[in-house]
Amino acid sequence: MSLRSDDRRWGSVAKFFHWIVALGILGNGVWGLLMTGMAPSMSKINIYALHKSIGLTVLALFALRLAWRLYDGAPPDEAMPRWQRFGAHVTHVVLYGFILALPLSGWLFNSLHGYPLQWFKLFNLPALAARNDDLSELAGEVHEWLFYLLLVVVIGHAGAALKHHYFDQDNVLRRMLPFARLRAGKTSSGELT
Amino acid sequence: MIRRAVSLALTLALAAPFAVSAADYSVQAGSTLGFTSNFQGSSFDGHFNKWTAAISYDPAKLASSKFDVTVDLATAKTGDNDRDSALPGPDFFNVAKYPQAHFVTTAFHQQGNQVVADGMLTLRGVTKPVSLSVVFKPQGSGATLDVTGTVKRLDFGVGGGQYADTSVIGADVKVIAHLVLTAK
Repeated sequence: MSLRSDDRRWGSVAKFFHWIVALGILGNGVWGLLMTGMAPSMSKINIYALHKSIGLTVLALFALRLAWRLYDGAPPDEAMPRWQRFGAHVTHVVLYGFILALPLSGWLFNSLHGYPLQWFKLFNLPALAARNDDLSELAGEVHEWLFYLLLVVVIGHAGAALKHHYFDQDNVLRRMLPFARLRAGKTSSGELT
Repeated sequence: MIRRAVSLALTLALAAPFAVSAADYSVQAGSTLGFTSNFQGSSFDGHFNKWTAAISYDPAKLASSKFDVTVDLATAKTGDNDRDSALPGPDFFNVAKYPQAHFVTTAFHQQGNQVVADGMLTLRGVTKPVSLSVVFKPQGSGATLDVTGTVKRLDFGVGGGQYADTSVIGADVKVIAHLVLTAK
């Protein structure tokens, strides 16, 4: 498995970024929804701190991922109707928007509330805005709703991948899976070797 | 000769209480008692809205100088609702059981150019020595008095138990007081 993407499949770096960001943002979202109901305690402080650290990590990984994508490019689309290709690309752009907006809205929420922002107890990051109690509440709502909207888009994205995998039996899912072999005779371009 | 000696002794004896006692001051509006600590790598400031101080001070008569300060712990404010509602609670100041903190000096000493007030702080039912740096500036008939010192919160069980992790909540709390004084 090569680091770079080729004309048939995603490279291991692109796969790594895809799955680690997916795990990070979905896991951290569920974590975030569960933690808000906690009674004040040291555990709550630590759990929130971890949520913030993971969110910042997702943001950093996203920046690296975007840079890698620009350098690495992408395998050509699998054979499919034009509307599906269009839909897939729009979904990807929207997902990128959410991956960026979720951590940033959290950072903004944290800043507006006046909380410190620390990455795994190692260093602190500056506030994005001055403290504002009214806006802080709004930013908290936005942060939460962005996750629900992300879930809707993720369901579409994953559903489409599974549809291609099980119904069209092409390589759309397999070429992004870490250890899967491609199906023979199903790539849109390039000869199978 | 004997009479002169007796009169001198009498004079000294009468004068002594006045000669060794420092000047008494009352604390004016504009005086502040604050503190600074650290949470998640970021410092925060707080202050007490209600406190009283009996100040008797003369830089030339440190032996008879005295600070006696009582702080109403429930009046601590740090500008964060979560923190301000946690501070009076049982994990931190426990104001229900220990509503006040009390500091009284035991001695003053000179450390280079710096005057240091040694005293005993009673906080949350624990009494331990705490030293404060003193900067006294006479102004007209009054003075300003700036005092700083460091209190180790865990020495007094403030934020003990689950909150004892000093990598999250700093171990040291810097106390900063600025007093505007007028002579009594």
